[in-house]
Amino acid sequence: MAARAASFRRGFAFNPSPAVSRALALALAAFAIVYPLLLDPISGLLDDSVVALAYVIMGLGLNVVVGFAGLLDLGYVAFFAIGAFSVGWFMSTFYADANIHVLVSSNVHNLPGIHLNFLLVIVIAAVLCALAGMLIGLPTLRLRGDYIAIVTLAFGEIIRVFAVNGDSVHVFGNGYPLTNGRQGITPVDQLDLPFVKPFTQLDLRPWYWLVLTLVFIVLFVVIRLRDSRLGRAWVAVREDEVAAASMGVPLVKTKLLAYTVGGAIGGVAGAFLAAYLNTVNADQFAFSFSIFVLAMIILGGLGSIWGVVLGAIVLSFINNRLIPDVLNSVPGKLGLDFNLSDLGFGIFGFLLVIVMVLRPEGLLPERRRKLELTEGVGTDDALYEVRA
Amino acid sequence: MREFISKYGLIAVLLALPVFYGVKDLVDDGNLAHLGQNLFQGLSNGSIWALIAVGYTLVYGIIELINFAHGDVFMIGSFVAAGLFGTVGLGLATGVGGLVPGLLLVLVICMATCGALNVMIERVAYRPLRSAPKLAPLITAVGFSFILQNVGLLWVGGSPASVPDLIHAQQDVFTFLGITVQRADLLAIFVTIPLVVAATLFISRSRLGKAMRATAQDPDAARLMGISVDTTISLTFLLGGMLAGAAGLIYALYQTTVWYFQGFQAGLIAFTAAVMGGIGNLRGAVLGGLIIGCIQFISDDRIGPQWTPAIVFAYLVLIMVFRPQGLIGEETREAG
Amino acid sequence: MQFRTRAAIGCLLPALALGVTACGGSDNKSSTSGGGGSSSASGSVDVYSSLPLQGASKDQTGAMVQGIKLAVDQAGGKAGNVTVKYIPLDDSTAQAGNWDPQQTAANARKVAQDKKAVAYLGEFNSGASAISIPILNQVGIAQISPANTYVGLTTNEPGSEKGEPQKYQPSGKKTYTRIVPRDTIQAQALITQTKTDGCTKVAIANDKETYGAGLGRLLEIKAKALGQTITSDTGIQKDAPNFRAYASKIKGEGADCFIFAGVTANGAVQIFKDVSAAIPSAKLYGPDGVCESGFTNPKKKGIPASIGAKFKCTVATLDLNSYPGGKKFIADFKAKYGNPHPDPYAIYGYEAMKLTLDTIKAAGSAGATRDGFLAQLFKTKDRHSVLGTYSIDANGDTTLTDYGLYKVGPDGDPTYESTIKASGS
Repeated sequence: MAARAASFRRGFAFNPSPAVSRALALALAAFAIVYPLLLDPISGLLDDSVVALAYVIMGLGLNVVVGFAGLLDLGYVAFFAIGAFSVGWFMSTFYADANIHVLVSSNVHNLPGIHLNFLLVIVIAAVLCALAGMLIGLPTLRLRGDYIAIVTLAFGEIIRVFAVNGDSVHVFGNGYPLTNGRQGITPVDQLDLPFVKPFTQLDLRPWYWLVLTLVFIVLFVVIRLRDSRLGRAWVAVREDEVAAASMGVPLVKTKLLAYTVGGAIGGVAGAFLAAYLNTVNADQFAFSFSIFVLAMIILGGLGSIWGVVLGAIVLSFINNRLIPDVLNSVPGKLGLDFNLSDLGFGIFGFLLVIVMVLRPEGLLPERRRKLELTEGVGTDDALYEVRA
Repeated sequence: MREFISKYGLIAVLLALPVFYGVKDLVDDGNLAHLGQNLFQGLSNGSIWALIAVGYTLVYGIIELINFAHGDVFMIGSFVAAGLFGTVGLGLATGVGGLVPGLLLVLVICMATCGALNVMIERVAYRPLRSAPKLAPLITAVGFSFILQNVGLLWVGGSPASVPDLIHAQQDVFTFLGITVQRADLLAIFVTIPLVVAATLFISRSRLGKAMRATAQDPDAARLMGISVDTTISLTFLLGGMLAGAAGLIYALYQTTVWYFQGFQAGLIAFTAAVMGGIGNLRGAVLGGLIIGCIQFISDDRIGPQWTPAIVFAYLVLIMVFRPQGLIGEETREAG
Repeated sequence: MQFRTRAAIGCLLPALALGVTACGGSDNKSSTSGGGGSSSASGSVDVYSSLPLQGASKDQTGAMVQGIKLAVDQAGGKAGNVTVKYIPLDDSTAQAGNWDPQQTAANARKVAQDKKAVAYLGEFNSGASAISIPILNQVGIAQISPANTYVGLTTNEPGSEKGEPQKYQPSGKKTYTRIVPRDTIQAQALITQTKTDGCTKVAIANDKETYGAGLGRLLEIKAKALGQTITSDTGIQKDAPNFRAYASKIKGEGADCFIFAGVTANGAVQIFKDVSAAIPSAKLYGPDGVCESGFTNPKKKGIPASIGAKFKCTVATLDLNSYPGGKKFIADFKAKYGNPHPDPYAIYGYEAMKLTLDTIKAAGSAGATRDGFLAQLFKTKDRHSVLGTYSIDANGDTTLTDYGLYKVGPDGDPTYESTIKASGS
């Protein structure tokens, strides 16, 4: 088994020199920047690309918690929700009784409600999610392994229940419900950033460049963190908590920082998605979303930054493009009157199983950590070596 | 001090809801019948969760995998049951004489189907990944969960489907101290208890059960002792699947409605129950299932059904805070 | 490719097409035709539908697509001289198993891109329409929803939020219409019926969806206006295993009637069973969300006949046999799908497409353009349809006010009983 996995890896092994890999990265980045010019400004492919990049940010954030620090988080949707609600609360006509406008352009100046500039909102979202991350992290400090998974899952579900029922919760006073339930807060303000034209739903290129910028920033942050003292502390905690603590790694601080950073990144992605999708709807914040993001980072290669990027893009395109658009047109082309969307669930599940069985280490496993990962996140490492 | 908080804090948390509403009932009605009714219905409903939770905990105990497909195996179990009622000639008019053997036959088929399905899933989706990173099988489990849901969706469609109410589930049998006992309650309790007892005995007494426990403790040592680890793991999945199949039949008879999405919700609850009790621990899973059943009924009745999931999960978080190893968690390896 | 298939169907079914043309002609006798009315226009247009085809609501949306396809086939894929190509889109994803905001917006953009697109039938969920309306509004494509009943999409009546419906109309023009009456009307009809049946205390459960929760709120408002006592309006958890605690709670409140404001997919069968077991004498009511054979027919895994006997529901469809094209619709539906009892969703889907085809035809040479179609759509007046006779008002709402009361017939399917006048909203 191990030998087979090794040969797989060898098959994909690619060890370019630093100069070559830097050139490659630059070429990729350059392509990513000019890519939307090759497409129609409202094409479906561009739309799917924007969402895929937003998922890349989500995945990078979750990867900090699960991949770096080894804390299995099954409630990541909580940060999507809080980030999105920051947009719903501060960038729409939802609180129509209030009349607050900060740094917004004239087209929303006359609308009632709270309207802040998106750049402010994204900071608020990050801060709120960082706090929420810490709050969710606190009860898990004494826990290990899958107990953390269930507590984070519980928080995710609690937040979902509040999102659904929040229309009857008036914590900020009458006329200020917490959420708008399943009706959703729609529409939210169109983005209006300094130096560029206001964004519209009919030209997706600015959205694409905005999310690409965010991806670059988050990538930079995540790579710097990974290579920092904190990043090494995370890996140490992941590998062996007791040993890490005895070497002087502050466990509480290290773990809480992982939740905080992961949460803040999730909040940024959540705020962007809410603005892009033009809605904050309770139905979006289901447990299946947490699993979807987790699947992206495991599929890509847990802990590996480039793996996560690839995994997020691949899964997002399978879900948003391959199944609904590409596969769905196949029966029609073959002249069959058969609706493939009946099998959408099954195809999605089947692809997850196939890819995982063929590439158990993920699409782009991080070489340096492959060994450690094989031995698992928890304390017990014997289990999966049964057949080794 | 910490031990004290852990022990009594936990008890305080668990008793908070029933005691609060018990006092309220005494003030309002002068007796505890209302609360008693909530708790009794909660127990009977919770026994279904208990059966599913045992399957979760068995699998977790032996390969440390959160088997997300387990709830959907249970769902397939109730679909098989619902589909078989007509086939074996059970209808609303069937008397007790025909009902008992008929249902036993359906029970056997359900258990066999779900057991086989679970073994197949392990063989296809988990075994190839045994040397892979620990979280990889989690994703194949999610994958199978999607596949099984699609099967259910094609089988009965998107809306919940009604099942003939063979046992006249909501017919009152007797009333005791103001608590009404219905047929469904008796069924759930009288099928669950022997199954759980049998499973516990099998694991603690039989040779195969010992092999399972040995593999759970240390697979390498178990292999050295001549235990076939693969067979043992398959056996665990078989056992878990069979219990899920039984739960499927009881669910179909008890709720008289089946839905392709029921397994997701049930799986989430059962997983919570397993963790609450102390994952890897059979008695803990049963206890967790019963407690969740009671919380659900109290919350549905007093607080409002739309808040029930939040109440259950808030309970879970509190229990984890006070007792990270779960209610009966000393036997597990993960406990810290 | 698909286009050719449609054209082929059009050639293969000339008889059917002729029959419908005649029938369609009588439909539009009284509609004012402002677009010149000449039938010399030719060319081809695309009509899209956007519905969640995966997950829990797939049975209902499947029925809707059946209805839409029947309307296209009856017309032989043509409206006047204009060839109509129908393209069904899916606004749900496998991962969510539900309508998805991104997929909805993507559908709207896809249609916005299509130069030949004139009409967009959708969405199924009001929350989804809130996303697609502003996008389609900016490019001036007419939208006809066969299912949305949320008040705020078209009006600022009670039940809507501040800023509605203007916030969905960035261009300032109205592009959204719907053929089902908004919740206000149905709430009025249901409460009126409970008064007629002598209910004294009514318990309401809603499924927390936009449709169910909105209807629940309006039921309370209408009950107050009409002097009916509501004991409680409870939001339920749609995937709860059972509702026994809820049922014994409303029993304690002394409810003698029960209304479920929601759709079949959200636990309807279970909640009616549990309520009926707890209060055997309770009269049971439901809106069009449950007035379908999948809910009422025991053979299709719906509620048992014993509960069906106590159940009544409302649909915006009146007796189909009283409408000239109604008999033909039933016959054609049976011929195509083998089912003589089309569910409300199939009827709504059928009417949405029928209205589209008739509008293209009535607009004449302008019917193949977005502006011409839109203008003609809002001129729809006194249209005789499977839903009764209605006009589209300035808000884009249907003027239908009469609801059909349905009971469960001997074959288990909903059967027309009488008409409830719910005017005076």
